[in-house]
Amino acid sequence: MNTRSISFRLVAWYAGLLTGIFMLLCALLYLDLRHFLENDLRQSQSRRTRQIANILLAHVKQTGEPYVASQTKNWYAPEINDRFIRITRADGTLVYVSDAPKDGSFDPAEVPIFPPSSQTEFSRKLQLSGNKTLLIAALNFKSSGNPAYLVEFGDLLDPVETMLNHLFLQLALGLPLAVVIIAGGGYLLVRRALTPVEQITRAAERITQYNLSERLPVSSTGDELERLSVSLNRMITRLDDAFQNSKRFVADASHDLRTPLTILRGELENFAADQRFDAELRDRIGSMLEEVVHLGKIVEQLFTLSRLDAGEAQTEWTRFDLSELAKTTAEQMSLLAEDKGISISCDVSQPMPVKGNHVRLKQVVVNLLDNAIKYTPENGAIHLRVRAVNGHAVLEVEDNGIGIPPEALPHVFERFYRVDQSRSADSESAGLGLSIVKSICTAHGAEVGAQSAVGKGSRFRVKLPLFSKGNIS
Amino acid sequence: MVYSFVKELQLMRILLVEDEKKVADIIVRGLKAERYAVDVCHDGQSGWEMADAYNYDLIILDLMLPGLTGTEILEKVRRKNSLVPILILTARDGMGDKIKNFETGADDYLTKPFAFAELQMRIKALLRRGPVNRSSVLRVGDLEIDRLSQNVKRAGKKIELTAKEYSLLEYLATHPGRVFSRTMIIEHVWDQSFQGLTNIVDVYVRHLREKLDDAFPVKLLHTVRGVGYSLSDETQA
Repeated sequence: MNTRSISFRLVAWYAGLLTGIFMLLCALLYLDLRHFLENDLRQSQSRRTRQIANILLAHVKQTGEPYVASQTKNWYAPEINDRFIRITRADGTLVYVSDAPKDGSFDPAEVPIFPPSSQTEFSRKLQLSGNKTLLIAALNFKSSGNPAYLVEFGDLLDPVETMLNHLFLQLALGLPLAVVIIAGGGYLLVRRALTPVEQITRAAERITQYNLSERLPVSSTGDELERLSVSLNRMITRLDDAFQNSKRFVADASHDLRTPLTILRGELENFAADQRFDAELRDRIGSMLEEVVHLGKIVEQLFTLSRLDAGEAQTEWTRFDLSELAKTTAEQMSLLAEDKGISISCDVSQPMPVKGNHVRLKQVVVNLLDNAIKYTPENGAIHLRVRAVNGHAVLEVEDNGIGIPPEALPHVFERFYRVDQSRSADSESAGLGLSIVKSICTAHGAEVGAQSAVGKGSRFRVKLPLFSKGNIS
Repeated sequence: MVYSFVKELQLMRILLVEDEKKVADIIVRGLKAERYAVDVCHDGQSGWEMADAYNYDLIILDLMLPGLTGTEILEKVRRKNSLVPILILTARDGMGDKIKNFETGADDYLTKPFAFAELQMRIKALLRRGPVNRSSVLRVGDLEIDRLSQNVKRAGKKIELTAKEYSLLEYLATHPGRVFSRTMIIEHVWDQSFQGLTNIVDVYVRHLREKLDDAFPVKLLHTVRGVGYSLSDETQA
């Protein structure tokens, strides 16, 4: 899982926050309940001590201490209710003490006598053997004409403790479960909310300058994501328009230049053929003609590019052997290379069936070899290789020529790009050959790339899907 | 030698429909020099009227015309069931256009800018009256090309040529004295994929020249600067 993804971070944050808040709430609940329960017990104890004092002890003169003792025992039945009751006269004489409870959970004899206190009412907690806690409320009762008494009323804290423990256990088990459910549910929700983002991303990845007519999916949910995809689509439309404009410009320009070029060429040819002019003049006219022809060639290449832009290479597809094509092209080009003393070695071993526009794919090989010959000094070597790699036919043209500087490498497929600006006087090339290669490759779903080291040579690589009966209809 | 076939062509009548007056002028001048009778129209409507009214031996049609387009004229002429050869001349050379026009009945197609030499060659091919040399042995001066055995001899001496050199020589020898542009040579001897790669022609011509001319005082293979190459035994100035 990507820990930097929005969904992960969102879920982690909010699960963490919720866990914190829950823990705080649970602690508050626990402590509050504990406080409430003890307080409640204490209040009922104090009420009972006052009952004993005000109802029984207030009339001790008339009834006598044994009556008080027996009444207390009858009213509160401390042995059955696991209670501790003790009434002590101020001089230390024991008036009444409850017996040990039936279950023998504690021994009243263990409870020490209170140290004398000036407070009227107070309470204390006693830790008894067997890990039991006794909460005792005490009342110093004084009334005129009577001796002072200390009334003690105690309850075991066990039920409270048991209840609190139970609660603690439930919270301790429930909290992690709640966190898991919250995190899981949250993750699912966030994932669902972010699915359109995933779709937009994938759709955006697919869009290149060659399929700008495609649009991103728009979920009509009225939310931010809909707005995002709508504005991205608008941006793509603007890009599309810009691309269309530049394509139209190239197409129009290469078209509109043809008529003036035809006129120029025709007039100059007439002059060049006119024997009335002397040889020198005709030679100069010939030089002009050469430039007109060169200009015509550039226009032709631009027109080729605009035809490729219009999808021309996607038509007239046939099945053929790329190895065969590479071999024959290398042979046809070999004389051009030999002229510079360059050797072309052709390393093709097995047939490589591919599907595409034969004329255009041949042009790819021609242009790559021409490029290699152009930028390899005399007595260099060019290797042409075709091999199968992972269901692809890979064609490589490698030379040991002057190479391409790293900063120029990403641009070599751009139109009119020249590696060495100062060499633009080289009238033979217009800097369009490689962009034609790129256009043809893209139209065939092929990748084309270049590697190079200055002074050592360059390698151009075309990766084309291999044709097999299954993968291309 | 040139005049012998030019006489045959004197009566050939060609209709040119081209709205670019300058382009039309150049073509008319060139064709008149070749002794053709040429009528020119600068718009589609009058072009169609002329084509309808007279029996031409050949019609050269520009595609982008005011009034009727070239394609429309082509359709009308063909609906008339006329078999007159039609050469399309255009600045548009998209594959789709080409196929569409061939289907409508165009006989050939030439894209601007073109070499006039190429237009001449195509016209001759369409009229089928030109010096289409069908004999099995082509002769230029003391050069002899046997098309069946593909043997080349000069002054009786055999010259060894590679297959490409032979194709190049044979192509040039079909019209001795005519200048072939590099583009024409590329298209005939190589194929479309070599578009723009005209330096390969120069290399082959140089190799051919070494074998053909170096040992002889009279040169047969001539370079016409800016235009192309020709094969002829007449020394050009």
